[in-house]
Amino acid sequence: MTPLARRRAWNLGLRLTAAVLITLIFMFPIYWLFMISFKTAAEIYSFPPKWYPGSFNLDSYLVLFKDGDATTVGNSLVVASFSTALAMFLGFICAYSLARFSTGGNHLANWIVSQRMIPPIAVVFPIFLLYVWFGLVDTYIGVILLYTAFNLPYVIWMMRGYILDVPPALEESALVDGCTRWQVIWRVVLPMCRAGLAATAIFTFVFAWNDFIFALVLTRTEVATYTVQITHYFGGQSNFWGKISAMSVLGTLPIFVVTAFMQRYFVRGISLGAVKG
Amino acid sequence: MADLRISALHKYYGNVHAVRGVDLEIPAGEFTVLVGPSGCGKSTLLRTIAGLEDADKGTIEIGGAVVNHLPPRSRDIAMVFQNYALYPYMKVFDNIAFGLRSRNTPKNEIEPKVKRAAQMLAIGHLLDRYPRELSGGQLQRVAIGRAVVRSARLYLFDEPLSNLDAQLRDEMRSEIKRLHQELGKTMIYVTHDQIEAMTMADRIVLLRDGLIEQAGAPLDLFERPATRYVAGFLGSPAMNFIDVRLIASDGAMALRLGDGKTLALPQRRTASLAERIDHPVVLGVRPEHISRAAASERAGLARYTAIVDLLQPTGSRTYATFSLGGTRAVAELQAHDVSAVNEQIELSVDMNRAVLIDPATNRVLS
Amino acid sequence: MKSMQQGTFAQRNFKYLLVGPAIFVLLLIGVFPLVYLLMVSFQGITMTETSTDFVGAANYKQLFEDPRLWQALLHTVIITAIALPLELVLGLAMAQLFLNPLPGRAIFIALMVLPVVVSPIVSGATWSLLFNHRFGPINQIIGWLAGKEMVLLWAINPNLVYPAIIAAEIWQWTPFMFLLLLAALGNVDRSQLEAAAIDGASWWRTFSRIVLPAIAPVMTVAILIRGLDLFRLFDIIWAITQGGPGTMTETISVFTYVKGFQQFETSYTAAVALLVVVLLSALVMLLLRRVELAR
Repeated sequence: MTPLARRRAWNLGLRLTAAVLITLIFMFPIYWLFMISFKTAAEIYSFPPKWYPGSFNLDSYLVLFKDGDATTVGNSLVVASFSTALAMFLGFICAYSLARFSTGGNHLANWIVSQRMIPPIAVVFPIFLLYVWFGLVDTYIGVILLYTAFNLPYVIWMMRGYILDVPPALEESALVDGCTRWQVIWRVVLPMCRAGLAATAIFTFVFAWNDFIFALVLTRTEVATYTVQITHYFGGQSNFWGKISAMSVLGTLPIFVVTAFMQRYFVRGISLGAVKG
Repeated sequence: MADLRISALHKYYGNVHAVRGVDLEIPAGEFTVLVGPSGCGKSTLLRTIAGLEDADKGTIEIGGAVVNHLPPRSRDIAMVFQNYALYPYMKVFDNIAFGLRSRNTPKNEIEPKVKRAAQMLAIGHLLDRYPRELSGGQLQRVAIGRAVVRSARLYLFDEPLSNLDAQLRDEMRSEIKRLHQELGKTMIYVTHDQIEAMTMADRIVLLRDGLIEQAGAPLDLFERPATRYVAGFLGSPAMNFIDVRLIASDGAMALRLGDGKTLALPQRRTASLAERIDHPVVLGVRPEHISRAAASERAGLARYTAIVDLLQPTGSRTYATFSLGGTRAVAELQAHDVSAVNEQIELSVDMNRAVLIDPATNRVLS
Repeated sequence: MKSMQQGTFAQRNFKYLLVGPAIFVLLLIGVFPLVYLLMVSFQGITMTETSTDFVGAANYKQLFEDPRLWQALLHTVIITAIALPLELVLGLAMAQLFLNPLPGRAIFIALMVLPVVVSPIVSGATWSLLFNHRFGPINQIIGWLAGKEMVLLWAINPNLVYPAIIAAEIWQWTPFMFLLLLAALGNVDRSQLEAAAIDGASWWRTFSRIVLPAIAPVMTVAILIRGLDLFRLFDIIWAITQGGPGTMTETISVFTYVKGFQQFETSYTAAVALLVVVLLSALVMLLLRRVELAR
């Protein structure tokens, strides 16, 4: 090997080692969480803590299913799915209007973007009071509406950028061919934005799925999402780590699976979002 | 002594063998142009000389010393990029001074050097501006200024004029040539444009598929091409290539065209062609060597009657397309030699200057 | 398709109909609460007092004199000031590491996405677990290094709560910075870097003079987004310390929640909430203006 090649190999080796180490460190908490969920109670509370479970024990999970707590994941699914669909739909058409017609000019666009900056804690309180008045507390509609509203600015902002990237000539050609504007939106623009839609939808879904503070305030027993459910296992003196970890895994695993499939879009979503912003 | 010597250079890009064994020697102070179509390996070769890519096999010597293992900054080179590669967040002055500052040139020397380089390129008034405020031509001058300010041993140009419009390109071509005369440094210039190659080079190196097809002075390559490829690459409009058959007639040789007509070959050309009689050859003749027949003509000019299919006047000349023995050919005529299409015209083909090519090897027969 | 003089109402106002529903929802959630907050903050509703009479600016006066509130703001600023630069530098270093080709690079990046998609509550719970004084591996590791058993009360010891929270926060969001900056670094014009290499610039010089300015816009966006999120930090703190010990880790969001949903000081909370909104808006406006000026 030439000295140059040797130096290159050395560099590569170092980088690879560093990369592996860093990844291991970042993956460790996830590993621990999953690992704890598979331990028996005795194993969890043993000292010193073992780094691997004796066996794949599903006790913690069974308890959750038996007690009916696992349905909270179902609630999360319902709420996140519907709010994402609604936000994507309303946001997409709104973004189209902004992109192609510059509706409302800069003012509207800026106002919409500013909505994203509102701190949840400031909003959750009056919303709670409003919901009490309308009887929307602990209802699916109430939570879905809120998540939709909170995700709209992001969806509009992102989709506007993606729509602007679609060459107007495509739409004009379709219009000349006889399509109505509505048809153009769904038949021409939508397919061209597929990648952007996927990336935005994932982010929106994950945001609703993982939300805690809104769920905490606006749900009680009917619509409790898995994030709220987890906090029920925090005790004053000791925590039910088995339940906490099992519930966490139940709530996190679906997202991991979705992310694994859509990883490309996720990464693109993060990076493009910033580049466009 | 050669300022740059490349021996048996090979470079792979993944599976693509971009440079397939190039040997090149460039004497000090010469302006060498690496020219060829896209994908021929000229840019790769240049970047390997610069140290931006590693050579896979072979050696590169600059000033007699092997530099294969040296990073670009240690090779005493300067480079001008196609897209200028200027630093957008620095003023023009700082762009030019960047290299000097990186090498810890004393502060009091930097300003005069930058100013002198700027003067040389007529951008002294732009030193305080940012790249985004400049036009394409000005940006290219700044890029050249950045290269020139450092007094390197070897100057590399990677298709610097490709992004400029035609008029600017003409202007910059002379600028760079003038710069070379003024500085006297060794320069290697990459382009795909054969006009740039012809007008600027002391020596042309024509590359094809990773190998040197032919190297030499521009007129050498133009008048004595070694292969069909070289003959067809240089010159605009390109050389006409016609399939013919070498025949003997009346103690002399001639070329029989596809339509049965013949073009006689001048005596002195036939010496080495004896064994090729009755074999097919390719006739290569440049448009400027086909002209309107005059009343009496010198030896070596063959007559041909043709009907003009297409006329392209450029003002001073008119290019006429016609059928030469069944193959489309272009002749460069005077502006008013032909007045209309479908007109018949007597042409004379300068067989002294034409080349004969072996169809099997594509090499030019002497 | 500019203005169509004829056509149905729907056709003429098509573009407005498109934005209508979205704006309606946004108004409901965006504008109404702020108006309501404004109203309520001038009233005197507490846990015990339900009359809706206006009490002038009493709540705001109380706000300025409430040490706990300003403590909360301080805590928020401290956490942001520590976590944000750490995330940035770490994310940048990691982005630089992964920038050039590396075997298995795609797998590494795919794995690094995972912390970002975990719910902050889960993240907080996980780190609570990790930091657990008896059953958590962190104390165990420290014990190995120190040679004796360590029982560090990360969630209770005043000296340890901040590191614990910041650790959880950095773990979750550095990958976000990393991905963002990786994309930005990838977009830097290669030929500029090559020109710098030929010019003889050292690595640091190339990085500071050429790369950093090139990724500055993306970095600014990243800082804005993360800064904002850090300011609103709630979930992770709630999971690990619930704002404790005492009120040591109470950030402004935790403070607001406690006042509103545990102590039911409705009007006061409204005033606080409004203050938070104003503060954040001012900060964002300031930052945006600096970004615009920089351009």
